[in-house]
Amino acid sequence: MSSRHISHLRKWLWSSPPAEWVLSQLRELLIGALRQGPVPKHVAFVMDGNRRFAKKNRIETVEGHNLGFEALAKILEVCYKSGVTHVTIYAFSIENFKRSKYEVDALMDMAKIKLRQLVEHGDLLDRYGARIRILGQRELIKPDVLEVVDQAVKMTSGNGNCVLNVCFPYTSREEITSAIRDTVDEFSRPIPRDVADKERTRPFKEERIAHTIRSHQFSQHTSTDSDSTFLHAPELHSPSSSTTSLSSYSQDASEQDLSSMSTSTTLQPDGYSDTTTSPSEPTSTSSGEKQLPHHKNQTSPTPASKASREHGQVKNPSPNSTYPSPELITPDTLSSHMYNAGDPPVDLLVRTSGVSRLSDFLLWQCHQDTQIVFLDVLWPDFDLWSFLPVLWEWQWRTRKAEKSEHD
Amino acid sequence: MPPFTQTDTTLYRKDVASGGRSLTAAEREKLLQPYLPAPQSDSTAMDSRWSATGPQKKYRGHRRRVRPLLKAKLHFLVFFLIQLVFGIYIRLRQIYNATFDRLLAIRHYHHRSPELIQRDVQNLERIPEHLSVILKFKSKEDGGLEALMDEVAELCAWSAAAEIPLLSVYEKSGILKSYIPSLKELVEQKLASYFGPPPTTPVLRVFAPNHPSMAPSPSPSPQIAVQTGNGHTHPSTATKRQPLDLLLLSAADGRDTLVDLTRTLAEMSQAQKLSPKHITSKLIDTEISATTSILGLRATGGHSTRPLDRLSDKGPDLAEPDLVIVFGPYVKLDGYPPWQVRLSEIFCVGDSGGDVSGSGSTRVEYQAFLRGLWKYAGAEMKFGR
Repeated sequence: MSSRHISHLRKWLWSSPPAEWVLSQLRELLIGALRQGPVPKHVAFVMDGNRRFAKKNRIETVEGHNLGFEALAKILEVCYKSGVTHVTIYAFSIENFKRSKYEVDALMDMAKIKLRQLVEHGDLLDRYGARIRILGQRELIKPDVLEVVDQAVKMTSGNGNCVLNVCFPYTSREEITSAIRDTVDEFSRPIPRDVADKERTRPFKEERIAHTIRSHQFSQHTSTDSDSTFLHAPELHSPSSSTTSLSSYSQDASEQDLSSMSTSTTLQPDGYSDTTTSPSEPTSTSSGEKQLPHHKNQTSPTPASKASREHGQVKNPSPNSTYPSPELITPDTLSSHMYNAGDPPVDLLVRTSGVSRLSDFLLWQCHQDTQIVFLDVLWPDFDLWSFLPVLWEWQWRTRKAEKSEHD
Repeated sequence: MPPFTQTDTTLYRKDVASGGRSLTAAEREKLLQPYLPAPQSDSTAMDSRWSATGPQKKYRGHRRRVRPLLKAKLHFLVFFLIQLVFGIYIRLRQIYNATFDRLLAIRHYHHRSPELIQRDVQNLERIPEHLSVILKFKSKEDGGLEALMDEVAELCAWSAAAEIPLLSVYEKSGILKSYIPSLKELVEQKLASYFGPPPTTPVLRVFAPNHPSMAPSPSPSPQIAVQTGNGHTHPSTATKRQPLDLLLLSAADGRDTLVDLTRTLAEMSQAQKLSPKHITSKLIDTEISATTSILGLRATGGHSTRPLDRLSDKGPDLAEPDLVIVFGPYVKLDGYPPWQVRLSEIFCVGDSGGDVSGSGSTRVEYQAFLRGLWKYAGAEMKFGR
């Protein structure tokens, strides 16, 4: 009884004008102070716990989501005020379609209403310059929602400073898949003929180089080392095939320079299989290469060795193939095909409600240097006061890391 | 100014409840107006104030210039204070954690006895089928490679005792992969020191994707040997000492593997062997688990080429770790294979002194391993926290 009185009193006290004024001043001060240090450029949130919050407080699930939206609005304000430019939120997972139809529909309605309201305040949006993007599988959105989504995205697309990425039907695996698909698609588009020809006019002639090497080899041929005859035994005597092997080698080497370290790891297994495999197998690699054209659809043990083997097989028979070399694909290529390509790396990922899983969110973007924080609060309870310690800790660690780098 | 007043909040919620129909756009804007911060241009001006302080002060009205300056000074002071206090807080937390860890380590210590470890985990509701740990390469003063390998060996022994069938160790540089034979020897020694002479120890198999891994040694009928050997020494665990698989992962099994797969697919597509339409997450999942998971490696047995047929009849469960234990002060995946961590429970050992920036390493201790398992099982930790 008395505790209820006290909580009432406290509530009244907190909502009294002077308290509100003090609180707002304090907020301003703390946010201003945040700006003085390093601030994460890109923050991601998994907004987890709306349903549990609703259950705990005995309100409708939809109400929980509404309160969650309010929490989001408050947090966004804190983020943008303190200098975060990109915020990515996990609004709706593809898996969430498995929830009750009632809830999914309510969520969709909510998205529709919020976005429509947003569109109504065009000038406000322009003034504050936030840009909204929807990441995810658009084809899963219902057409009426999609229309509003497109409208909102289009309206804010010109705005500059701040970005809000809404992941809406999203899973990271689908994102990676579509990035791979797009990359493959891009690389299987032939380069226009004239461009390719222009690129290929180099002053050196392969025949001349091969000839030089052959004559050089011939002069040394009397003192052959057993190793090379063993490996290239059938090829050494026929000049034509020896040129192909040479050219493939030089191509590999030049590509190794082009693409960064990942290529060198790619080439490594092949190198191993040539030099250091167990003595029982020196012929199996070459025979495997010969068999490859027949069953290329099967997978070989590592894609790496497969890639480099097929590379030798597929590309060399047609030296004037007009496709870009797949060896040019790097992690950056894939990154640039992710939904949020071009955004700064995610510095901080916050997941609420005590679940310590990524749940298929931003796997590609967050598996390297991102600091991941799992909090116990439910999302509707998440506010400045639970976010500040996270930011302080991030600042503190970043400053420490910077300091140790300088030393 | 954010703490919204009570009346405005109720008004807003009424609007939401009515599906956004009770207020018009203009009314909503009016409701919002007092809370809107000053437009961006103003705040950026305030920002630049900090860098361009004094010189122009004389030219303009000075009241307007001084106040933001004071404000910035105040903000900096507050920032500095917060960082100071927070630093102290973190140190205190470290001390607390370290004390707690020590107490826990006294309460639960393995004493190189599988029975004790078994007793520590027997009440847990679930044990991960696939445990993954993220380790860091040790600096010279921490013992370098030997210390790292010893930690792997300890983890193997604990996992075997806790009956975790698969342990994968992630170390960014992949240096472990180049020392597989000596690592295997070390782990086997360690297992023997826990489980007794060779016949009673669990059979160890080491796998390393993207590396010409050691073929699993054809151990002479392990199952029978275990049973006969166990008969008199460890009657309780005699029948079900399962083999332990150790999977070594490195950064090359993460992004680079996905890139390699993309290259392969691009080549196939260029040769008209597949259309980009055929690329689905299922296809990628199959490929990834065929190359970097224990099942795929087990099926291919090193580097022969007959993968998928044996893979298909087993579920892909083991490809994704159930629990990832990060031995570091905070959660940073450090290049861990992204495709696989999708649903893994992530447990961070946490800060307990020494290194704070996360660049170094946290010592691998039994109590931390145990805490991870407890967390995974959703069990309450002994004496609070």
